[in-house]
Amino acid sequence: MTVATSQNRNMAGASLRFAAFVLLPLAILTWALADLSLGRELLQWLPYLASGFAMNILIALTAMVLGSLLGVVLGILKMAPYRLLRYPASLYVQVFRNAPHLVLIFATTYIFPFEIVMFGNYLEFPDWVKATVGLAIPASAYIAEITRGAILSIPTAQWEAAQGLGFSRFQALRWIILPQCLRRSLPPWMNVLASITMGTSLASLVGVHELLHAATDASTAVRRLDFTVIAYVVVMAAFFALCYPIGRLTRRLERRFKQA
Amino acid sequence: MQDTNLIDLFVRLTDRIGLNYQFLSGGYEAQIWRDGFITTLYLVALLIPVSLVFGLLFAACLTSGKAWLSAPVRAFVEVTRNTPTLVQLMFSFLVLNTAVSNLVGGAQNNPLSPFFWVVAVVGLHVAALHAEAIRAGIEAVPSATVEAARGIGFSRFQILVYVEVPLALRASLPALVNNLINLVKLTTVGNAIAVSEITYASIMVWTQRDNVVELMIVILAFFSLINMAVARIGLWVERRLAIPGYGI
Repeated sequence: MTVATSQNRNMAGASLRFAAFVLLPLAILTWALADLSLGRELLQWLPYLASGFAMNILIALTAMVLGSLLGVVLGILKMAPYRLLRYPASLYVQVFRNAPHLVLIFATTYIFPFEIVMFGNYLEFPDWVKATVGLAIPASAYIAEITRGAILSIPTAQWEAAQGLGFSRFQALRWIILPQCLRRSLPPWMNVLASITMGTSLASLVGVHELLHAATDASTAVRRLDFTVIAYVVVMAAFFALCYPIGRLTRRLERRFKQA
Repeated sequence: MQDTNLIDLFVRLTDRIGLNYQFLSGGYEAQIWRDGFITTLYLVALLIPVSLVFGLLFAACLTSGKAWLSAPVRAFVEVTRNTPTLVQLMFSFLVLNTAVSNLVGGAQNNPLSPFFWVVAVVGLHVAALHAEAIRAGIEAVPSATVEAARGIGFSRFQILVYVEVPLALRASLPALVNNLINLVKLTTVGNAIAVSEITYASIMVWTQRDNVVELMIVILAFFSLINMAVARIGLWVERRLAIPGYGI
């Protein structure tokens, strides 16, 4: 029975991929060709939508880089032997892991100034950077938890062995424990990546020019219901095409690590 | 009377450390803000049962073994999991809602409010996440247990209701609680279509008062508290339902 269900699921997965990556684009193309005026509008707006989507990817990647750096440090601080380091890190993780992404994007957008004065120079602080910081904060909180979990999952015998070889605590962490954590924390890290990528659409609510914002712009400019439908279908398809492979790869990695 | 005095005291104390909560003693904005909290709590209270019921339904479809039931649900689950909730909400509100309006002849006849769409979209989104967790739980039920149930004459539906779901729910409870915490956070997307939950209400206040930091402190504490409560209750239910010796 389990073989049958897993086979069923594989078939369902294959047909779903076929529907999403072959049938849906074909359907959009056919619709655009059947009603040429609609097709022309769509063609005209596609570069605009694409520039929006590039912004989504930029925000997601920058937020993940910032979040990962900060998150690993926080995860280590959460396990520090000093309360003065441990408690603030724990509080940070507790608050920002439970905070909605939208609230944090609002917070960074409205609290940070729109420019910074640095050595007499005015440095611009655009909205998309603020939104990136807003998404990097929850990312860092999730990654702190992931890091902590990964460090805890390494058998303590390894710490003792490192100590026996004359490594200091920090050296053991840097050269022996963390490299092993990298592999273990990859699947959950990719879950965060998918979640943050989808979170980038929230930046449209603070006026960042990203895909959803671009689609709203386009549909208000064209003012046709069928164009609105097709524009939002394109938005969904774009996010799906980005996030579905991430999710699939994550599940495949999880399965492979479980076997190993 | 006592109540207003406490608020005045709070406003004065926070003012001394440089935080501006003065709007709390004024009538109108304090009212908006309080309603925002209540709307968010109401959304959460409504969405938790809605998402669980639909999640169970979806999981039953996914494991039914009938392609005409499982394939559409699987497609829905994958689309929901891999697209942003905000996009789904905007799509539903701008496309489906307009379609409904055209169907009933004009927006004034449309019975569906923005509130309805938030509940529908967020509820079904989280239901899709629940469904995956419960499905994994159902598939983890040992086949010997299912065969034993079939041996004593249970029908497929009876096996699902009396054997698989009780065990699957216990196994998937940690994942379900995680999804519920996600649900609490997702209620804020209602902001995009003018449902006056807490972030929407806060925008109304801080555009007048310019006290973003003060409001943010309270909002972050609020969500932290709700989610802590959800996690605690989840843990309590988990302990209550645990079958001694079964391991879950």
